[in-house]
Amino acid sequence: MDGRRRILRSAMAMLSLTCLADYSLAIDQALVEAAKKEGEVNWYTSLVVNQASRPIAAAFEKEYPGIKVRVTSGTANDLLLKLMAEGQANSMRGDVSHGGSAFGSLLKSGQVAQYVPVESKRYPEQYKDPSGFGTGHYISFLVPAINTDLVKEKDEPRSWNDLLDPKWAGKMAWTQQMTQGGPPGFIGATLSAQGPDQGMAYLKKLSQQKIVNVPANQRVVLDQVIAGQYPLALSTFSHHSELSLKKGAPVKWLKFEYVTGTVDPIFMMKGAPHPNAAKLFIEYVLSKKGQEIIQAADYIPADPQVPASIPRLKPETGGFKAVFLPLQQVEAEMPKWVKIYGELFK
Amino acid sequence: MTQGPVSSPQAALAPRRVSGNWRASGWSSWLPSSLLSLILACLVLPPIGILIFRSLKGERGSPTEGLQTLENYVRLFGNPKLYESAANSLVFAACATVISLLIGGVLAWVVERSDAPLKKLAFFTAIVSLGTPYILYVGAWLFLLGRAGPINDIYRALSGTNDLLINVYSLGGMILVEGFLWTPLVFLLLSTTFRRANAEMEEAARMAGASVAQTVWHISMRLAWPAILGLGMFVFIRNVEAFDVPVLIGTPSRISLLTTDVYVSLTHNPPQLGYASAFSAVMLLLVAVLLYFYGRLSRHADRYASVTGKGFRPRPFRLGKGRWVGGAIIVLNFALVLVIPLSAILWNSLTPYVRSFSLAGLGALSLEHYRAVFQEDHYLWLAFNTMIASAGAATAALLLTVAAGWLSVRRWPGSQLLDQLTSVPLVFPGIVLGTALIQVALNAPVPLYGSLWLITIAFLIRYMPYGMRYSYAGVMQIHRELEEAAGVAGATQPGLIRRIVIPLLSPAIISGWLFIFLLGAKELSLAILLSGPDSQTMAVAMFDQWSNGQSGEASALGMVWTCVMTLFASLFYYVSEHQSNPEKST
Repeated sequence: MDGRRRILRSAMAMLSLTCLADYSLAIDQALVEAAKKEGEVNWYTSLVVNQASRPIAAAFEKEYPGIKVRVTSGTANDLLLKLMAEGQANSMRGDVSHGGSAFGSLLKSGQVAQYVPVESKRYPEQYKDPSGFGTGHYISFLVPAINTDLVKEKDEPRSWNDLLDPKWAGKMAWTQQMTQGGPPGFIGATLSAQGPDQGMAYLKKLSQQKIVNVPANQRVVLDQVIAGQYPLALSTFSHHSELSLKKGAPVKWLKFEYVTGTVDPIFMMKGAPHPNAAKLFIEYVLSKKGQEIIQAADYIPADPQVPASIPRLKPETGGFKAVFLPLQQVEAEMPKWVKIYGELFK
Repeated sequence: MTQGPVSSPQAALAPRRVSGNWRASGWSSWLPSSLLSLILACLVLPPIGILIFRSLKGERGSPTEGLQTLENYVRLFGNPKLYESAANSLVFAACATVISLLIGGVLAWVVERSDAPLKKLAFFTAIVSLGTPYILYVGAWLFLLGRAGPINDIYRALSGTNDLLINVYSLGGMILVEGFLWTPLVFLLLSTTFRRANAEMEEAARMAGASVAQTVWHISMRLAWPAILGLGMFVFIRNVEAFDVPVLIGTPSRISLLTTDVYVSLTHNPPQLGYASAFSAVMLLLVAVLLYFYGRLSRHADRYASVTGKGFRPRPFRLGKGRWVGGAIIVLNFALVLVIPLSAILWNSLTPYVRSFSLAGLGALSLEHYRAVFQEDHYLWLAFNTMIASAGAATAALLLTVAAGWLSVRRWPGSQLLDQLTSVPLVFPGIVLGTALIQVALNAPVPLYGSLWLITIAFLIRYMPYGMRYSYAGVMQIHRELEEAAGVAGATQPGLIRRIVIPLLSPAIISGWLFIFLLGAKELSLAILLSGPDSQTMAVAMFDQWSNGQSGEASALGMVWTCVMTLFASLFYYVSEHQSNPEKST
């Protein structure tokens, strides 16, 4: 473990050296000047505060003295409610926000500004909104996870169909949050990967398994699995399992035929009070420097050149196939998936 | 302020004496109530307006989006599980209310009116449990009684089966946890009531040969009736519209309550506020009706007054050999409400990841999470913000409700709506009040949005109903003859309030202030929704950690925060008790 980390760290150091030059070249000096004139940027974020949002803010402020990052933290839903209300009152206060589900809602109500970051050129197409409204700044993989004390290796499910075994009835839990990381995303991924008919048939069979709806987010559901409350959770984030595993928790995430990937886009608000500082901030988060802070906070960087803190978390280095839910599909089909959830799983 | 204790000729000739009423008459008697009603209306009506408006709008994404529609109400009453949910809600709310009243009431009586030992422990229990954040508290019970908790673990080990001894994910489990949640409120409120009990009647009953139990039932309880009834009604309403416990326990076990669907509609992205608003609007009606009937009680306020001109100094009942029973009740409450859940939180704060109690886990305990908490000096700032907002809200709430309580119990002209106005915020789910306030603040002429002021105002609106219950019950106990005597003696209205009403009300004021302060300090949903970059509070940090898988650190932070709150509350309690307790100062 240690050896691997050391190699990783030196690899990261080399990478950052090579990209330092790139980054400073890519950013237009005029943008920096305009941003400095604005003096601050309001960032609405649901990233974990101590490990991610405060280090990112501090690093940005160090890179661009004179521009203050004002962080408003909260859950994705809280932030969405605020931004919606600000937009409706024609009094936008937020400059930059993020989040897959929020992106769809805000885009639909016309609150997102178009901006194609220079840095996003390095990013794969599937991480970007095709019309240039948002760019994924980190990615996550939705996977089932098991408690290894309760599920022995020989009993581990190995495919999506294994979950239909009656022995799992009433023993699987998932979050009740109606987001792309919750049941709706799971439903969307199933329909995309297995096709509408076969996918629907699978979901119907799965609904017979009496999945326990837990009124908390994915992370809390995973904690309950680790504590032994449930042996298996559907729709958890793979990096959460890895983090707990590092601390010695009895947990393992499972890769079946396909793994659902979700993209968390960063975007600028329409009517943002500090548009230049917002652009500069987005550029910074998507730059290698920004992505390395994302990595150090144990999120999976979207930047293809920045590995995950635990390499097996990315499909290329982890040997699994990811089916990404494209941003525009999440935005368009979310209500349909929520409806299916209501009909089958509520 | 006052002109002296001897009644002056002016006072005797004043028109209020002629009319048989010492109070000023004419338009000036309408002034205080009207002014206060106006202030309260400014606080309460905008969110209500937004609530009703929102309940009549189509949800985002539905075909009726943005249109006037009754579909939220149709959905509410057309719910196929309505009867089942309503029945579950009623059973849940009623049983949990009974548990809170029973535990809190018995405890308050033992502490205030008997010679049982360990009384301080009961206050300590109430204060610490109020200072403990809800998510951790409810989580602790779920952890303890859950499938992987120690009780079921031990049962499985002993019985050798895979069954559960206790299934906390049941209606019974829900009732128990919710019942415990409100015990401190009942205890604190009824203890102030019992402290001012009428010793005269109790002693007369005892002299006439009544047993302790008979005296308590026929005299003490009867006299505390308005307080108990008001409290029971209050806790019942809170239970009907409670989210946390029904959702946390009910959802995994698929027990449907009235609030279950409302909660689900709020987890949508974006949250569907129309449905929740319609539910709150219906609750608004229920509260109005209940309060109307309750208000009629105050017509006979004098009947229940126990603080009269004849001097009061209630002597505790001698329980004799029953003393140890009283002590045992206090200790049992201490264990149930505090030690057991807190030990679960402590355990979680010491283990590197969430795990059940075990000997193997003992070896892995570490102070790592505490180290992480103390390394962040940023928490100091959050603590400061939190203290300011909740202390400000508690102070403002008590100022307003003492005035409102006094005016409405004394039935001043124009005071009819005061109880309604102060109690209405009870029906707002945090998120609905929060979004309404965001709208108000965004359109306000002053920069309110994202400021600590907004959070303070939100806490004030949310917790005013609690302040009102403390004030109302307190005033009911003070016989008007004391004020009339002061009026006759020439006291001015402000002097009368300052020298008679406030000192006599001080136990209720102190308890009410503490209660609101402690509740505000751990408020989650409102604080998170309303906080801006400069007004982050402790709740934001705790929730951030809890929902990001750092439940160990959240528990550590929660433990530290509980300790700080307890220290602060105890300090406040002692200082204020010693400064304003008339029994001690005479």
